[in-house]
Amino acid sequence: METHLSCTRILTYRALPSLVLSVSSNRAPNGLEAAFLANRERLLRFLRARGAGDAAEDLLHEVWLKISTAAVGPVAAPVAYLYRTADLLMIDRYRSERQARRRDKDWSEAAATVPGVSDAPSGERVLIARDHARLVAEALDTLGPRPAAIFRRHRIDGVQQRQVAEEFGVSLSTVESDLRRAYRAILEVRERIDEA
Amino acid sequence: MTDEAIAWAVQTGDPSFEDWDAFTAWLEADPAHADAYDRAMAAVMDAAEEGLVAPANDAVAEEVPARGGWRWLALAASVVLVAMLGFIQLRDASYVVETAAGETRTVALADGSDVTLGGAARIVLDRDDPRVATLEQGRALFSVRHDDADPFVVDVGGHTLVDAGTVFDVARVGKTTSVAVSEGVVLVNPERKLARLEPGDTLSVTDGSDAYRLGTAPVARIGEWRDGRLTFDEATLGEIAHELSSSTGIAFSAAPTVAERRVTGSVALAPVKQNPQAVGPLFGVAVRREGDSWIIDRP
Repeated sequence: METHLSCTRILTYRALPSLVLSVSSNRAPNGLEAAFLANRERLLRFLRARGAGDAAEDLLHEVWLKISTAAVGPVAAPVAYLYRTADLLMIDRYRSERQARRRDKDWSEAAATVPGVSDAPSGERVLIARDHARLVAEALDTLGPRPAAIFRRHRIDGVQQRQVAEEFGVSLSTVESDLRRAYRAILEVRERIDEA
Repeated sequence: MTDEAIAWAVQTGDPSFEDWDAFTAWLEADPAHADAYDRAMAAVMDAAEEGLVAPANDAVAEEVPARGGWRWLALAASVVLVAMLGFIQLRDASYVVETAAGETRTVALADGSDVTLGGAARIVLDRDDPRVATLEQGRALFSVRHDDADPFVVDVGGHTLVDAGTVFDVARVGKTTSVAVSEGVVLVNPERKLARLEPGDTLSVTDGSDAYRLGTAPVARIGEWRDGRLTFDEATLGEIAHELSSSTGIAFSAAPTVAERRVTGSVALAPVKQNPQAVGPLFGVAVRREGDSWIIDRP
C-alpha cells in the first residue's frame, strides 16, 4: 500500500483538464488539495466503508473535482472538510437512488392496475408525499417545542450545534440528545410511509 | 443499530465534527451500518428541505390549526430566542446564512439579485421577501437587480441602505459599518439623515450615531476581497487582524501596544495563507506565533 502520494501520482490517476491545469501550471497545490493528496488512501477507505464498493475510486475523483474546480475558500480544518464532502456525496447518491427506486415502484404499481379500476395505491402515495411535511411536524410536536425548535435551528437554519446550545441556554449534550430524538421521530415517519 | 446510526448522524452533521477515523471504524464493523446511517441522514435531509417550504404553505397551516406544525414551531423558536438573546428576530420566513472564517459563499436570491458573503459573516434573509436583508456581522457584496417600485433594503447596525440600481459592499466589524459603492447609487438612512453614495464613494458609521465618515476608494478595489485581496485605508492593526482572521480562517490578533496603530496597505491573501508572517513587512510589524494564533506586534 502506498503511504506517500505525489502530484505526479494524481496526474496519472486520471488526467482530466482540471488536474492538468492545476498541476502543470506549476501552482503549488492549495491547502485543501495538499490535504487531499496526503489523505487519499484514508478517504478511499472511508468511501469503501460508506458502501461505495467498486465505485470508490470514481467517487474519490468526484471529491477531487469538487475541491479543485469549485471556488472553495480557505478551510480551517481541511481533512474534516474532505471527509464531509465525501460523506455528502454518498448521502446524495443514496437519496437519488432511493428516489429512482420509489419512482420505479410507483410506476410498476400504476402499470399493474387493472383497467377500469382506479389507481388507488399511487394516488395514496401522492397524498402521503404531500402530507409528509405535516406528519414530520406532528411527530416533532410530540417531543415538545424545544427539540423541534433546535432541529429547525440546526438543520434548516444551518447553525452549528455549539451555537444552538448557547442560543437556547442548554448544554451541547442536551442539543445532541434533542437532535437524536428529532432524528428518530423523523426516521419513524419515513419508515411508516415506506411500509404503507 | 438504528440508535447508533442516529447518534453518528447527529455528530457528523455538525461542521465541527472531526473524528472521521472513529466513524470509519464504526462503518467497517458491519456493512449494514452504512445503510442505517444513509437511511437516517436521507430522512433528516428530506424533512429539513420540506421544512424550508412548509411555513410558506398556508394551505397546510389552515388544515391543521390546532396541531400547529412548522409555523407554530417557528413561532415557538422565535419566542424562545428573542426572550433569551433579544437580537435574533426569526419571523416565519426569515432564515440565517452564516459562513465560517475563511469561507466565501454566494447566495442567490429569488429576485435575481445575489449576495456574496466573506468569512465569518452572518446575514438574515427572508424567503417571502427577497428584497430585504439584515447583515449582522462580516462582509457582504450585494449585486442587486434594480426595481424602482421595490428597492432593495439592507439593514445593518440600525442603519438602512436603500439601493438605486447597484453593486455595493457592506462590512460590519464590531459596531462599525462600512459601505462602498461599485455601481449605481445607494441611499443611506433615507428616512433619517440621508447620504447618497455614488460609485467610488465610501461611508463608515458607528451604531447609534449618524456621524458619517465619508471617503472615496478606487472602484476596481471595491469587492476585491472576493478575488482574495484586502485593502486597508488608515485602518487600525486591531481591525486588520480581525479582517485577516475572518478572511483566511487563520487566527490573527494585534498586541495591545500596536492595536490602535493605523496603517494603509493592500494584502493578497493567498501568500498570507501559506505564510502568515508575510503581512509583517507590508505593515512594518512583526508577526509571531503563539500556540494556534499569530500575534501582530512591534518589529
